Amino acid sequence: MTDIEKKGSESPGAANPEGAFTLIVEEHQRLVYGVALRLTGNSSAAEDITQETFIAAWRHLKDFRGESSLKTWLLRIAANKARSYWRWKKLRTWFSLSDPANGDEESPALEDLLPDDPRQRPEQAAQAAELERRVQAAISALPPRQREVAVLRAQGLSGAEIAAALGMAEGTVKAHWFEARKKLEVSLREYL
Amino acid sequence: MNEDEKERKLLSLLAPRRSEAFWAAQRARIASSAAERKGPARAWLLAPAAAAALLAVLLVRPQREPMQTEPQVVSAAFIEHLDLLDDMDVLEAVPEEEL
Repeated sequence: MTDIEKKGSESPGAANPEGAFTLIVEEHQRLVYGVALRLTGNSSAAEDITQETFIAAWRHLKDFRGESSLKTWLLRIAANKARSYWRWKKLRTWFSLSDPANGDEESPALEDLLPDDPRQRPEQAAQAAELERRVQAAISALPPRQREVAVLRAQGLSGAEIAAALGMAEGTVKAHWFEARKKLEVSLREYL
Repeated sequence: MNEDEKERKLLSLLAPRRSEAFWAAQRARIASSAAERKGPARAWLLAPAAAAALLAVLLVRPQREPMQTEPQVVSAAFIEHLDLLDDMDVLEAVPEEEL
């Protein structure tokens, strides 16, 4: 548990909400964005989800009672927003606003993938982009529940934390991870 | 490579990698968005409400199906109505004084 996460009656934003919010964003943005990106396969949707997750947390920070860890709470918000994203996509398909075959996966910009200017190292940039594409394709090919479990597992969450974030039994999490892992190892075998 | 190492390698592959500049820009966007907070929500964030509305429409639909059986009910009622009319004919045939 971090210093801004507290168990008990005092909420993390009680004394200095703005300061607490900045700390929360800094500490959890990688986690939230990682989950959003892998669940949607769309970098701009992941940006939106990350932003909206922290805004929702900001709005309800005073109500956070510390019954779950802050990390689990944020990831539950992000996972719900990712599910909303897919419902929205399905609705759009139903109303023929978009062609379902024409997915709107959006790759991240090369400069976001590498720590420095990718134009200096075009070969490495291309490899990073290819790896990103392959990993995302492997995750997107998983059934929704397996995908959610795998994505949270990849962010270092334990079985119990994943169960709490997704609202499922720990045994179910283990079973989903077992299946997801087998499929991912096959899809990404050349990188393992 | 043992199973644990293999799993660790797989998990490290799955985690997205981004530059520090990316994270800094994201923090700035979140901070400014939190400051505004009054901006319009993304359309797809309204999906739960839209899905609920759609569900309501779908739930209403099946209730219409029994109405398709209505002609049978009407025809039964119609036959009864005809019987009643027959009685009425009899009644009409009886002179008023005898009623």
